[in-house]
Amino acid sequence: MLPRPAVHGSTGAHPGTSHKGVSAVRNRARTLGAVLAGCVLIASACGGGSDSSSETDGSDTSNTEAPVGTDATDGGTDADGDTDDGEADAPVVTQLTSDDEGIDESELAPQAGGEVIYGIPTDGTGFSTTGAIPSGSLRIAVALNDSLVAVNADGDWVPNLAESLTPNDDFTAWTITLRPGVEFHDGAPVDAAAVAANLSAVKASPTTGFTLAAMNEATATGELEVTVTMNTPWAAFPFILIGQTGFMVSPDTIGTNETFVGTGPFVLESWAPGDTARVVRNDNYWRSDEGYPYLDAITFKVIPEVEARSQALAAGDIDGFSNPSDSLILDALDSDDADVYITEATSNEALVILNTTAAPTDDLRIRTAMAHALDRQLIIDTFRSGLTTPANSFISPDSPWYADTDYPAFDLEAATALVDEYEAEVGPAEVTFKVSNSTGSVQVVETIASLWNAVGIDTTVEEIAEGTEVTPVISDDFQAIYWFQFGGADPDAEYVFFHSSGGPINWSNLVDPDIDAGFDRGRASNDQVERAAGYAQVQEALASQLPMLWIDHLGGVEAVIVSPELRGVADGTLPEGDQSLTTGGYFSWEDVWIG
Amino acid sequence: MRLVASRVGRLLFVVVVVSFFAFLLLDSAPGDPAVALAGLNASDEVVAQVRADLGLDEPFLQRYLTWLGNAVTGDFGDSYRTLGVSASSLIRKAIPNTLELMFLAQIMALMISVPTAIAAARRPGGLLDRLSSSIAFAFLALPTFVLGIYLSYLLAVRLGWLPTVATDLPSLTSDPLGNLEQMFLPSLTLALGLVAVYLRLLRNDLVATLQEDYVLLAQARGVPDRRILWRHALRPSSLNLLTAIGLNTGALIGGTLIIEILFAIPGMGRLMVTGVFGEDYSVVLGAALVFTVGYVVVNFVVDLAYYLLDPRIRHA
Repeated sequence: MLPRPAVHGSTGAHPGTSHKGVSAVRNRARTLGAVLAGCVLIASACGGGSDSSSETDGSDTSNTEAPVGTDATDGGTDADGDTDDGEADAPVVTQLTSDDEGIDESELAPQAGGEVIYGIPTDGTGFSTTGAIPSGSLRIAVALNDSLVAVNADGDWVPNLAESLTPNDDFTAWTITLRPGVEFHDGAPVDAAAVAANLSAVKASPTTGFTLAAMNEATATGELEVTVTMNTPWAAFPFILIGQTGFMVSPDTIGTNETFVGTGPFVLESWAPGDTARVVRNDNYWRSDEGYPYLDAITFKVIPEVEARSQALAAGDIDGFSNPSDSLILDALDSDDADVYITEATSNEALVILNTTAAPTDDLRIRTAMAHALDRQLIIDTFRSGLTTPANSFISPDSPWYADTDYPAFDLEAATALVDEYEAEVGPAEVTFKVSNSTGSVQVVETIASLWNAVGIDTTVEEIAEGTEVTPVISDDFQAIYWFQFGGADPDAEYVFFHSSGGPINWSNLVDPDIDAGFDRGRASNDQVERAAGYAQVQEALASQLPMLWIDHLGGVEAVIVSPELRGVADGTLPEGDQSLTTGGYFSWEDVWIG
Repeated sequence: MRLVASRVGRLLFVVVVVSFFAFLLLDSAPGDPAVALAGLNASDEVVAQVRADLGLDEPFLQRYLTWLGNAVTGDFGDSYRTLGVSASSLIRKAIPNTLELMFLAQIMALMISVPTAIAAARRPGGLLDRLSSSIAFAFLALPTFVLGIYLSYLLAVRLGWLPTVATDLPSLTSDPLGNLEQMFLPSLTLALGLVAVYLRLLRNDLVATLQEDYVLLAQARGVPDRRILWRHALRPSSLNLLTAIGLNTGALIGGTLIIEILFAIPGMGRLMVTGVFGEDYSVVLGAALVFTVGYVVVNFVVDLAYYLLDPRIRHA
């Protein structure tokens, strides 16, 4: 269920629930088996549909209780007057924790001061909120930024930089009320005019406009009040303000790529593209009365080689790093000298996008054959060290939005029969399979290609420049392409990538009335049952039409490894006390401290 | 002077030819920077406008000449990848680090190989000769990245003597010790690959030189071996070494691509690799031109050094 829309401020903390939101492994001298078993236990306890039969040793699952129905909506009343009786589960976030060799970090008092050097594989290409901020730059931007809305540990949206968000009765207008006295890093006020300018700029941008396609306009209707009108009911609108769309920058710097003048706990002191970004404590931070941030400075250092990042941590040259390989995750899980934090919630999926308007992938028989021939468990065992879970949807089985479908199982004989049928009728099935030229991705794609070749689909692998994968997709110059995406906190965040109105962003070009209708149901309603039904409709249509072939949920390998002295990594606390949900590689830097 | 003018003319020709083919190569590479820059949902009109703004709608030759004209003034255009940042500024920041890395690597390689070669040449086939040769070839046989990871593990992780990566590289002028501390390991990694080549070349030339009549005469006159080796044999034995230094500058450029990535040094090699993978053509072209100019200048200097070192060339 969603938070009660008209709540002033945050939905509040949940007494009795402890740190469920951050999916973290703080594992020292612990085996992977125990951790994964713990994961399964929690997923099961939460009603998640995990099909794993692993058993737990019961040693490290400190938070095994099921996340409770979320926040203010429990037993409350929605804006439309419907009584919410909590008939569906709250979004579930799988959490992995350990006892950290007897240390309960939550009872340690954070210490202020100190500087951290954090290794990242790339710093991306810049910070323009009206451009596509790549993941490398996002790792830095999260220290500089507060989004208008955040997502809590239960997967619900809660106001963050905004004080409240209130919809009208039919969700065609939302009123955003801002907190008084908040300033950007350059001293400009975070007022209604600034927020309206930011949202309007995002809407106007050819790159980011699709995220606010349903928005008509954002208007300052008071000093601290912005009214956002929609061209269609949009009950899930706050979720879009969690990410880049909700990043607010000083009006004078909107569209500026080489700097980020936000509101966050740290100020960008310098950025040498491709090398380092140094951020320093924002003494004027709007949450400074809570003691935030604890650190004096963070240096984000680009260290492209993952082995070099690992050695730098081992030598004490850096304090942590993102994007470890799965073998390093396994090593660190067994090590006393490093802590691992693994994202389970909101992780990306690995998948193959098929172009449904180009032969032969325009034929359902070929798409089905490709799905049958794709051995997901082989990929997971061979290339992820068994750390990830097979996917058959863009929604994780742990999510209340997940629906069981008849997604094709691995079956080489069925695949061969379908290909034979197609070739007898149409001719040879030849597919070019595109992939970014990173070693790991190419290896996965070559394995999949060999499986497709084995069932008669003549597959050629074509490598393209890393970071340019989107170009052939938006220009329809592809048949199959290896892809990582999704994992949004709410399925509505993925609307444009499947809906026919998405245009070039509807990656597969599939136009399917059930998919459109399902997403529209999910977008327009605040009723959880209605929304779940809508997303079930979407998932069933995706499983039968197969515009995308799912491989795995990458939660197990989207991780950060840090020094044991770096604390608070998983402790993101939102303004009204909710635990925040952080994702792999991105965490709430204001909560991090050295101790 | 005529020699210098002639060489400079030839070098300029090489630079123009290389830059032309680099431009041609990147121009025919797949991908359209205008599409990437215009944005995901950009209309055809917006893409066309971006293409016009970048000058990509002009004929190839015109674009090349425009680019070359700007490049001569140090203007390589804006980065296609990092908007708002010029390619020239990225290259300017990267050049000193790469130059220093290459210079230190050459110095270290010579500091190791010259004394070792002289010592080995005194007793060809002796223990030192065989041992030094074996060790040097072992370093040569190891791929640079393997050697780098191993040295980093040994000297930085295990022994803690040096940093594993250049976490915050100060400039050589502002903090020489801090700079050298962070550059030592990458420079050493690069240098060890050169040692075998330099060692074997110099050692063989020294052994041959030591058979010359004038050396035998010096020995007969009672000139100490040390003086003969350093004063009379080393200089005429250095010509092949000099050639190797010049030629290895090219190899070093290739080596910096790996070393800068491995040790996180913000240099030209890493800039170029990032540019290639990110299709940042303005940066790649600028870097390629800088590398080309650097390479031909080094070889020009080597040619001049021949002239100064060998009287036979000087008086020919």
